[in-house]
Amino acid sequence: MISNHSRTIAAVEIGTGKIAVLIGEISRGRSLNIIGVGVAPARGVMKGEVVDYKAACEATHQALEIAEKRAGTRIGEVWLAQSGGHLDGFYNEASVNVKSADNTVTALDIASVCALAKEKELPAGRSRIHEIRRPFHLDGRAVPDPEHLSGRRLEVGYWIVHGPESKVSDNIHVVGGYHLEVRELVLASLASGSLLTTAEERTQGVLVIDIGKGVTDYVLYRDGHVLVTGTLPVAGEHVTNDLSIGLRVTTAQAEMLKLRQARGTVQTRDKADKVWLNGDASFGDRQFSKVSIETITAARMLELFEVVRRKLGAAFEPEHCGAGVILTGGTSRMPGIEEAASRVFGLPARRGESPGWVKEELKDPMFSTVLGVFQFGLRGAHEHALPARRKPGLLGSLTRIFATS
Amino acid sequence: MSSAREDSRPAPGRSWRDIRQEVSAPALSRRGRRRRLFGWLKFGTLAALAVAATWGAVLLVHEWRADRAALATATHDAPVKNILVITDGVLTRDWVAGVLNLPAGTNMMAVVLPALRDRLLEHGQVSFAAVTRSFPSTLVVTLKERTPVARVQASAGLGAAEQLLVARDGVVYRGAHYEAKLLASLPWLDGIRLVRTGNGFQPIAGMEDVAALLTTAQLQAPHLYRQWHVVSLAGLADQDEIVVRSQDVPEIIFSRKRDWFKQIAQLDYIIDRALLLPEPGLKSVNLALEGQVPVQLLHPPAELAHAANPSFSLQPSQPRVQSDL
Repeated sequence: MISNHSRTIAAVEIGTGKIAVLIGEISRGRSLNIIGVGVAPARGVMKGEVVDYKAACEATHQALEIAEKRAGTRIGEVWLAQSGGHLDGFYNEASVNVKSADNTVTALDIASVCALAKEKELPAGRSRIHEIRRPFHLDGRAVPDPEHLSGRRLEVGYWIVHGPESKVSDNIHVVGGYHLEVRELVLASLASGSLLTTAEERTQGVLVIDIGKGVTDYVLYRDGHVLVTGTLPVAGEHVTNDLSIGLRVTTAQAEMLKLRQARGTVQTRDKADKVWLNGDASFGDRQFSKVSIETITAARMLELFEVVRRKLGAAFEPEHCGAGVILTGGTSRMPGIEEAASRVFGLPARRGESPGWVKEELKDPMFSTVLGVFQFGLRGAHEHALPARRKPGLLGSLTRIFATS
Repeated sequence: MSSAREDSRPAPGRSWRDIRQEVSAPALSRRGRRRRLFGWLKFGTLAALAVAATWGAVLLVHEWRADRAALATATHDAPVKNILVITDGVLTRDWVAGVLNLPAGTNMMAVVLPALRDRLLEHGQVSFAAVTRSFPSTLVVTLKERTPVARVQASAGLGAAEQLLVARDGVVYRGAHYEAKLLASLPWLDGIRLVRTGNGFQPIAGMEDVAALLTTAQLQAPHLYRQWHVVSLAGLADQDEIVVRSQDVPEIIFSRKRDWFKQIAQLDYIIDRALLLPEPGLKSVNLALEGQVPVQLLHPPAELAHAANPSFSLQPSQPRVQSDL
């Protein structure tokens, strides 16, 4: 995946609210230089799934074109963030008896146990997105690399993320419609988690929740490894809908109120404290109780976090999550959301902060996923063991000449 | 790392990488079609350039194999067929050709231009020379020549005396292709000592002043200049005096400290006034003194004959003094 020559790569996130594209120049396989940014309002996407191919193409290609113009170069390949309620994951583990007479683990033992752990068949029509290995266990003790160690029984488990082939291919084809090839597919939660957490936090245990407009992605790390990933089709859009129904206003007005007054917890005590809908005293302008708004939004946010906690199930243990909860995504800008998360998970929660190498204008949570795609691709690929790529043949190379031109 | 080995084994079942990424033409967006077209154009241009380069290489190899001699001779130049001389003087193409002395059939590129230029500059008549190639077969020689202002007689060992020319900068040289009439009009230099250096002589000091005097006389009083036969520089170094012997006056003394034009004007006046004498004839005119001009007459008047050293002082600028004559 990583080569020595310079490549121009676009990290693309086809979200429910916006399409974000970052163009990076990767040289010597490690050094990343962000040279172009393109953002366009999303169309034809609901809850992370493409529902209108042409509209989604139009929006995505617009963002790609903007980014190319700003970068002053043409994109060579695309790393695509993948999200949506259609994605699912399961854990599968396997164990083998060490074959050598002196009980020393060999490369063959490792390869055998890994193959067995990944061997589980998927339901028909589904494709693997990621196979994320958890630590090896040799006679019950966790070891990062068991080769040349002595033991009788070697165990390993994989968290396998998969999704319906038709929906995954829809996203890929939206990029393909711009005459580009998707070289890597990165789970959005893994991307955000890779960007916003440090190795130390991942070792201590940390939960990263990326709340977008239509989808909430989460990833739970423990002992430096990914334990669980997941996606919920509930996010900021639902807060807007709740406000729209609860206050009997249009979606646009509800969105406006959400951006201005929404809170993750109820802070206002005075029921007489009101806010204007438009604030310009125009005809039709109305007043709403701040307590009502905050009650609606806080209830939705609490419910969202509770759903996440329920989905995590037994995997989430507060005592093994020392680094707390990190929130990101556009909806994480809502005031008081950390308190809501903290209340549900019983852990300190904070908004994620991009690392120092990220430019100031890209530190907005809306870029966490696309930046994380680069981060994951460059640093985390080996940690999380992406599936091995097929070597392209001569025809494939020729096709790439056209695709990267 | 063991992780690298574990990943090298493909997982069972379908991966997202098995999904066919190419989209059909109708599924391409307007931007996508434009991008694809650009890609084709770029590929087409690169391919055309590659084909053109390959075809050129093939042609070159074919040409080289088919007619290697032609390619080899193409690098050779033609022999020098013509010498074009551009000069501000009198030297001719034949003279230049004789000096250059190029062997017949010498190739253009075989000619050593600095050496040819040095050959030309060995002749004092040439003050500047430039030799350039004008392909295919012409050498262009550009010359600047010295102009003689006087001549000098040099004794060539036991042989006969040789007439040499002296330029304004004091360079002594053997003139070539000058008209005899021009040479005959030049005064002789006297009171100098020629010192040999190599094939020529050391430049004569003070010739700038002599040239200025002669040029002024030639332009302002040609009738006087024509009478001048000898210009002596014997007193130039010590007394700043140039002595001219003319047909009419055996000794005319000029000073380089005074304005040449003024001195010549005074001489002209004196000669004219002397012609008014009953027995005209001047023996000496000394123009080197400021304010007065001592004149010696060949036949002084009787009333002055008793004087031990009959001489007269003329001040042509003061008519009152004229009556002294």
